[in-house]
Amino acid sequence: MLPEMAAAAIRTSKLTKDYGAGRGVFDLDLQVSAQEVFGYLGPNGAGKTTTIRLLMGMIRPTGGSAYIFGLDCARDAVDVKRRVGYIPGDVPQFGSLTGSEVVTYLGGMRGGVDPRRVRSLCERFELDLGRRFREYSSGNKQKLAIVLAFMHQPDLLILDEPTSGLDPLNRQEFYTLLRETRDHGATVFLSSHILSEVEHICDRVGIIRDGRLVHIAELDEATAPNLEEIFLSYFSESRTKPKLLRS
Amino acid sequence: MIPVLFGLRLGRWGMIGFAAAAFLSILAQTAGFYQIAGNSPSARAAFGASMSALAAQFVALFPTPIRPDTVGGFVEFRGIHPLGILLCVWALVSATGFARGDEERGIVEASLATPTSRAALVASRAAAFTIAIAVASLAACAGYLAGLAIGHETAELRGVLEDGVLLVALGLACYALSIFVAQLVPGRAATAAAGGLLLGLFLLNSLSRVLQSLVAWRWLSPFRYYDLSQPLPPGGTFDARGFLILVAIAVVGTAAAALAFTRRDLGSSLIPFPARHRPVSFAPSANTLWRVPVVRGVYERRLGIVAWSAGMSLLAFMFVLLTRTIVNVLLSVPSLLPYLSVFVHQQIYPAVLGYTWLNVAQLLFAALAITHVARWSAEDVDGRLEMTLSQPFPRAAVVVERMAVLTVIALVVSAISGTVLFVQSHIQGIDLNAGRLAAASLMLVPFALVFAGAGAVLAAVNPRAAVGLLGAFAFASYLDIELATIFRLPLWLQDLSAFKLFGTPLLTGVDGRSLALMVLLAMLGLGSSILLMQKRDVGR
Repeated sequence: MLPEMAAAAIRTSKLTKDYGAGRGVFDLDLQVSAQEVFGYLGPNGAGKTTTIRLLMGMIRPTGGSAYIFGLDCARDAVDVKRRVGYIPGDVPQFGSLTGSEVVTYLGGMRGGVDPRRVRSLCERFELDLGRRFREYSSGNKQKLAIVLAFMHQPDLLILDEPTSGLDPLNRQEFYTLLRETRDHGATVFLSSHILSEVEHICDRVGIIRDGRLVHIAELDEATAPNLEEIFLSYFSESRTKPKLLRS
Repeated sequence: MIPVLFGLRLGRWGMIGFAAAAFLSILAQTAGFYQIAGNSPSARAAFGASMSALAAQFVALFPTPIRPDTVGGFVEFRGIHPLGILLCVWALVSATGFARGDEERGIVEASLATPTSRAALVASRAAAFTIAIAVASLAACAGYLAGLAIGHETAELRGVLEDGVLLVALGLACYALSIFVAQLVPGRAATAAAGGLLLGLFLLNSLSRVLQSLVAWRWLSPFRYYDLSQPLPPGGTFDARGFLILVAIAVVGTAAAALAFTRRDLGSSLIPFPARHRPVSFAPSANTLWRVPVVRGVYERRLGIVAWSAGMSLLAFMFVLLTRTIVNVLLSVPSLLPYLSVFVHQQIYPAVLGYTWLNVAQLLFAALAITHVARWSAEDVDGRLEMTLSQPFPRAAVVVERMAVLTVIALVVSAISGTVLFVQSHIQGIDLNAGRLAAASLMLVPFALVFAGAGAVLAAVNPRAAVGLLGAFAFASYLDIELATIFRLPLWLQDLSAFKLFGTPLLTGVDGRSLALMVLLAMLGLGSSILLMQKRDVGR
């Protein structure tokens, strides 16, 4: 672990993943402090999921570096994941396994999980673990992903559009869970393109466009800038220009 | 027209792969004939007699060849009949892939959201498959003609085309039956149910050649109508009635499938199966097997293990039953006695059983490895691998655990089927050497691991293409041993084929060098796939 990075939950330096043809993430410099809820905003294809996969060590950077709690995301991937809970952008498919089997299966890879914690999470989201995964609705699949990410009480949560498919009640429940988790000392890095969600739960927000981090803003209530205005200032231009040209 | 093109687009790799396989295999068999059959009439007559001896051993799989001393008869027996089976497997996979696989992926729902009726959707996919299998059959015909050109012979084009349309008709009949069955049963059981039906119909026809009691029922099997024709050899036949019945099965089956599809809910089966009631639970599973590495993988595939073990045991049982009949057929042909004299007073039963059973077992164990690689690829594509790697679980451990799971499963299946073979042989009074049978059965495990090792490498490089490429590798390995003697391939090239390395353990015992090479190839695949897995990107 690099001592100067110990304070940061996440730190990237010139992190780059170049897929060619201008696609990917480029020269990303980012720092997320411990116990912070950091929102990662951007339109579809901006590079949010690529950034998250780089942090999770799923894909290899073509340049730069990424550290989680001072551990190299690529080299120390296993140690990193002991401390991380993850919700992927697309819920994985577990076919005919029941929810309870999925929890035990993945929990077993962590050396086991606390059944009381799992029960508490499932009761909270009213997720029946007795049913087969393929019988779950998309909302229930997302709830299972939430349980899997939170069940081992990780120090850092990396969440890729975590409320996708949730109904408003469960979405509120999720926000409450997120706040509680933060209050217990965890850090949260979540991507979203729902501005109100980010505004509601995040301490800071980073905006990514075409693979580059273009803006970071504090979302302190007293001094909070209007997120929608910031967002539109970056993204409306490219969409209105053609209209202006046509007119 | 657009739905047909869309169907072709979805199945383009299957069409390209099977067309290439059809062309190359038929070309190799045709060209190979001129290498091994000799040029003089006496040499060809002797060759024909040896082929008849070989055919007698496989009478339960393939019809007796007509004039195997000619290129047409030889290719019909060695090339076209196995290709027919291969095309039926393709029809099965393609039909159930559309009927239920595409449905699970939402492709069917998206298609029906357009102004397309269900019947039209079924018809368009059937039309797309017709085009695809016609291309593959034409490729087979082209392979035959190209092979004839190498031997400076010509053929009657009519016979070649008749063989082509027969292959198309057989494939379409199997496609229609599969697509119909897939409407009746739950999606996860569709391939197994349709495959079981096709296998049953195939065995009904092929076993009727040796079991008189089945003759009265073989009219039920589409394979019977395919067997009625052998248009390639001189004096061969094309049974127009049998061909028309195959076409009728295809048309009626497709229509019945379309009707069944219009009468069921998407995601459900036409025959209602009651859902098992499960009490509401908020607790993780208490089953500790899910927590133990390797055991969890084996436990998850428990139904598959039961199915593979039962299927292999049934086949072993039947092969033993047929061995006496096959040997009697062999001994009743006076011209074959000189070829069998070496065995008659020694080990003819183990020789025949070893040749027939272990040949089929090798193919099935290669298929077992391919199904596992297909699962690894699916885990990659559907995000399960990503979820696994989001746990503190090294990438190398994922690869090692996958191979370990396959090793255990292959051990279980080979042990059970080997035991059934031994017990049934004993009952039938066929004296098998227990030690050699155990060794032969265990040899199937490293044999499967060679393919799994290659599959692990392919799955690490390109999971989406891994199954197709591994299928091609298995096919090339099989051709390698088939063609090694024909084309006098160098030894090092032959040694790359697990089929060659397997040898004849029931007759001659296990060859230590071959076993070591198989283990080495499997370990090479494992090591390479671990290295590739460390470097690759994961995620959809």
